[in-house]
Amino acid sequence: MTPAGAWTKAFAALLAALIVMPVLAAVPLAFSEQSFLRLPPHDWSLRWWNAFFADPSWLRALLTSLEVAALSCLLSVAAGTSAALGLTRLGPRMRALATGLFLGPMVAPVIVLAVGLYALARAAGLVGSAFGLVLAHTMLALPYVVLNVGVAVAALDPHLALAANGLGAGPWRVFRTITLPSILPGVIGGGVFASVTSFDEVVLAVFLAGPGVKTLPVRIWEEVRVEYTPVVAVAATIMIILAVLGSATGRLATRRAR
Amino acid sequence: MSAASRQRSARIALAALLLAPAMAIIGLGFVAPLMRLAALSVSSPAGPLAAYRELATVDVYRVVLRNTIVLALVVSTASLAIGLALSLALIRLEAGWRSTIFACVVLPLWISVLVRTFSWMLILGSNGPLNRFVMALGIVDHPLPLLFAFPGVAIGMVHVLLPYAVLPIYTALSRIDPALLRASDGLGASRAETFRRVLLPLSARGLATAATFTFLLSLGFFVTPALLGGPSDTTISMLIDSFVNDRLDWPLAAAASMTLLAMALAVIGLAGRFVQVRALSEIR
Amino acid sequence: MTAVAFRGIAKRFGALEALCPLDLDIASGEFVSFLGPSGSGKSTLLNICAGYVEPTAGALFVAGRDVTALPARRRNIGMVFQNYALFPHLDVFENVAYGLRVRKIAPAQIRRRVEEALGAVRLDGFERRSVLNLSGGQQQRVALARAMAIEPDILLMDEPLGALDKQLRKEVQIEIRRMHVARPRTTLYVTHDQEEALVMSDRIAVMRGGRLVQLGTARELYSRPADSFVARFLGESNLIGGRVAGLRDGRATLGAKGLAAPIEGHAGEGLRLGEAACALIRPEHVRPVAGGQRACVAERIFLGEIVALRLALPGGVELWSRLFSSDAPAGDQIEIGWDRERVSILPETS
Repeated sequence: MTPAGAWTKAFAALLAALIVMPVLAAVPLAFSEQSFLRLPPHDWSLRWWNAFFADPSWLRALLTSLEVAALSCLLSVAAGTSAALGLTRLGPRMRALATGLFLGPMVAPVIVLAVGLYALARAAGLVGSAFGLVLAHTMLALPYVVLNVGVAVAALDPHLALAANGLGAGPWRVFRTITLPSILPGVIGGGVFASVTSFDEVVLAVFLAGPGVKTLPVRIWEEVRVEYTPVVAVAATIMIILAVLGSATGRLATRRAR
Repeated sequence: MSAASRQRSARIALAALLLAPAMAIIGLGFVAPLMRLAALSVSSPAGPLAAYRELATVDVYRVVLRNTIVLALVVSTASLAIGLALSLALIRLEAGWRSTIFACVVLPLWISVLVRTFSWMLILGSNGPLNRFVMALGIVDHPLPLLFAFPGVAIGMVHVLLPYAVLPIYTALSRIDPALLRASDGLGASRAETFRRVLLPLSARGLATAATFTFLLSLGFFVTPALLGGPSDTTISMLIDSFVNDRLDWPLAAAASMTLLAMALAVIGLAGRFVQVRALSEIR
Repeated sequence: MTAVAFRGIAKRFGALEALCPLDLDIASGEFVSFLGPSGSGKSTLLNICAGYVEPTAGALFVAGRDVTALPARRRNIGMVFQNYALFPHLDVFENVAYGLRVRKIAPAQIRRRVEEALGAVRLDGFERRSVLNLSGGQQQRVALARAMAIEPDILLMDEPLGALDKQLRKEVQIEIRRMHVARPRTTLYVTHDQEEALVMSDRIAVMRGGRLVQLGTARELYSRPADSFVARFLGESNLIGGRVAGLRDGRATLGAKGLAAPIEGHAGEGLRLGEAACALIRPEHVRPVAGGQRACVAERIFLGEIVALRLALPGGVELWSRLFSSDAPAGDQIEIGWDRERVSILPETS
């Protein structure tokens, strides 16, 4: 294709800016002095950051978000890696079937899953429990972890396991010393993705929330539908920071693999 | 049992063991809720199909359904068009520009849709920077009613959908062997002809994937229309939310959810002939 | 002492018989090459010996023990793969030490044995190098060191030099031979390259279609091949088709189409009067003989110290002759002959 001229570059740059800038709109507001929602702010201060960290409900929401994210990350990575390894041992037809099942959560609209899980939680008396939310987020992240790790597993040289086996290593040792180090970038990538997905997730969290289990997005959702102050922008900024950190970690992990 | 078949059943047992935890999670978190919804949808005291009938006959609900589909068509078409334009620009950029712009396109995917929508709330308001800018330039003399109206919802949704449109199209375009384009050029085809006869057909799969995915996502949008839209921009998902949390009418909520799910499956089914569902996984 | 014994080992994959029942004894410290075209079953045999594939019939004995049902990791074998299979995330030292660590050998011992193994393959000082930066030949030697470090009962090599270029291959072949001579280890070596087999082996097993066709030293296989397939596989050959005209006391005569006189030679196994057979005369044994068979020189190819002559005999028979340049007669019409002792009459197996 012909290389890009100045107009093309300008067009691409403009679009890129239009995609990125709006996302960061909340950040300046978080440093506003006023309680008006004026963007960009007239004066700058850290008062809303102080307000955030002084408010126990916001802090608890942040903590809950981190806990749920950590737990669903661990669960989805463990179950997902295990599943990816299990898939390789299946015949092609069974594997296609199982993979299809795993892709389910990716294509179903989130609201449907949220309502269904809420209905199930009510029936089981588990409304507002952290368990339900962790399960929901794990389910959401699982397909990505399975596919991600699956790609890494497929790229493995099968002779490596044979060689290790011939040298005397049993299956667990082969996994621990040969397979896992080789697929680690895929596993880490999946884990980072699972954490960020859980941390960012809104719909499931809103439906499954309870008085004791409110993630940060749930708090923001509640505040934003009524009167709100720039403290919400602080919460949004924190979410942006963590998301960007996650994205950077994820890319570092996969780049080290090359 | 011979040694060989003993080995084979051991293999299958191991595979089953490895898949068990994930299957349990999918079973509990995905299959079970859907089954519960199916059951609930036919559990109305007025009869098994009462909830579905209500959805189909009550005017308000039909309007919402229609609005949702129209909105989905509009925003997915818009994001496809912009996405195609951007992808075409991207593949022609040199490596440095390409990776920077690509990173910009992908970055929003890591940020919560709530944060992105909230940002648009801040930007599109009557007192927001966009309106102040436009009024300062003298283009209009009163603020544009973007927020809590169709334009706001459309802008917000297109913004969210753009990365999902760009990724499959860009992937498909970048896989095209540049030698093919050179060959077409060498055989005398104009830029437009090469685009129409070589580039477009070869990227058809990517386009189909992008179209499917964006339409699918737009059908199910909840947060963005809820925060950016007005009363006439209610979507199915918002309706379902009100059934659950305001009316506490579970059969109705379940019926609406199953309807939405059926629509999603229909889209996948239709597109399934052109699209590899696997490709959706590459969008991260 | 028999190190490895195959007793009726066979392998079937569904309808395909990859290996027909086979009996084979390999002595301790012996280097045996398994030579044959692809699909001959030689890799299957190796993998059965390693324990990666289970035989459908038969038993395998290593040092007198029945190991047929024993899993690979308990067999103490050293395997070298064609694509090396070096662990990419470990350096050279850790690769070679892998089997030793599994066996829980003391660290000081590990260090000593790894250094010894690396010294044997002439890679001293390479301990901390990443395996990804090594050349093909170096990688192959690390793979060899890794297999040898564990002091295996048997060394198994599956076309290990396949990925190397010709020059490098020759060098590594000589290296492997040198190492074997210095420290004889029972070795099973799979290759499709006859020259490789000739350079390195104590004995060669020629395989075809899942069967062991002939087992013997290089010299035996060359001068007394069991059939025309083996004859063609090893070295250059002239094979003249015909029927067995006479058979007595280990000698046979072949009535060849196109030749006035029948050819006399050593009788191979399985010959039967009147049946199709062929006479094997190696090109170096077709020499100019005064008053011998008249032949026309159709082509003269200069190969350095050797000249190859394509000879057309009256009656349509064609023979190749290979002579030292100084011995080759000039001219288009020459007279040739051969020593009857150098001729083998072999059953025809196409």
